[in-house]
Amino acid sequence: MFKLRLIQLIPAVLFYALFQVVLRREDDPDLVRRLKAREPKAMADLYQRCGRLAYSVILRIVRNVGVAEDLTQETFLRVWNRVGSFDSERGALTPWVLTVARNRAIDHVRSQDGKLEANAVDLDRLERPGLFMDLDTSALTIDRARRLKSALEKLTANQRTVIELAYYEGMSHTEMAERLQQPLGTVKTWTRSALQVLRSELSEAAVA
Amino acid sequence: MNCEELKDMFELYALGVLDDGEKSEIDAHLARDCKECKRSLAHAMAFNAVLLSIGPEEAPSKRLRHRLLASIGYERPGWFWAGALAAALMLVLAVWLGTQERERSNQLADARKELLQVTGERDRLNQAAQFLSDPETRPASFGKGQSAPRRGYVFLHPQLGVMLIASNLPAAGAGKAYEMWVIPKVGAPRPAGLFQSDGMRGLHLLTGPLDLDALKAVAVTLEPATGSAIPTTVPIIVAAAGS
Repeated sequence: MFKLRLIQLIPAVLFYALFQVVLRREDDPDLVRRLKAREPKAMADLYQRCGRLAYSVILRIVRNVGVAEDLTQETFLRVWNRVGSFDSERGALTPWVLTVARNRAIDHVRSQDGKLEANAVDLDRLERPGLFMDLDTSALTIDRARRLKSALEKLTANQRTVIELAYYEGMSHTEMAERLQQPLGTVKTWTRSALQVLRSELSEAAVA
Repeated sequence: MNCEELKDMFELYALGVLDDGEKSEIDAHLARDCKECKRSLAHAMAFNAVLLSIGPEEAPSKRLRHRLLASIGYERPGWFWAGALAAALMLVLAVWLGTQERERSNQLADARKELLQVTGERDRLNQAAQFLSDPETRPASFGKGQSAPRRGYVFLHPQLGVMLIASNLPAAGAGKAYEMWVIPKVGAPRPAGLFQSDGMRGLHLLTGPLDLDALKAVAVTLEPATGSAIPTTVPIIVAAAGS
């Protein structure tokens, strides 16, 4: 009986640990300062903190272990080379790393499909260190993140599909409409409603 | 569009997936330093990061960490150090074994050379003892009365040959050797072998039957180390066979 309860607790513990990693900010300033000082040990610490998360995001997008490892390495080297302009006091490191990881993977997939051009420049622009200042990470508590996960599971199939296509395949509304062979307006409605559900889930959690 | 109308689009904007028209609207607001839109973008950035992180988690191989840190010069892959250490140890071991082998070979060669010398000396002494102890051996002394006395003995034996024992005989010198001659009563001297002086002594044996009745004398000259067919210098030792 006791053993059964312990097993039931494992997912919750893992979930808690995951969001400790994602949302932890209290030691960001020190880590960023050490990265800026080119301390190699700081890179080891950053990888320890979010290497697994970055790799998981990339693997989900590229679906190839070897490519995912190459892109994870590229992600961390990009962070290492650009951390000079990152604000050590106001910046949120993990969201930045995850964004770079996701963008590297999307960029890779799109280049495989011959769709590099302007999109690559756009992705590069959207991972500038200055964009990751003053993020409202304090509002994203563990409890609210857990609610977000369960809310994601409650979305309709179409809503989940468009979220999947936007986040993990980097598709615009127009591209989704073509892929799903649905009117552009319909796809926009599915996306907007899916994001509203997820946002409101977070808001309700905050009020509660 | 106003800020309120754009609010639903920031997550997609942050992902870089908005179509051009909508993207331009947000770009324009942000370029105007619109505080509300900046706040919306910050919310969207955080929201996206959490949404990305709640997917299934996979573990990369351990080698990725080593590879990454090696690329910034922090640490080399573990196998590199193990391989380098093993290679260094193998090199040290190979050098040590090579040195040991060379030393052993040199020692063995020296021992073999020494053994050959001792064996040769022993054989010569055995032969000399056998020569001297034979009842048919007869002596013939030489060098008596010479100014720089080179004394010694010549022993003659009809079957065993000639044995020369000389004293006060200096080293022959570089490229030189002492050559013994058997001088018959009739005819030219015959070469009877080369030898060196060991310190001040010289011992030389000519083995084989010898016609003592036809023998006039035994002589020694200093010759080139390769020997001569006929004497080329004045004899330094002459022992008459009949004396």
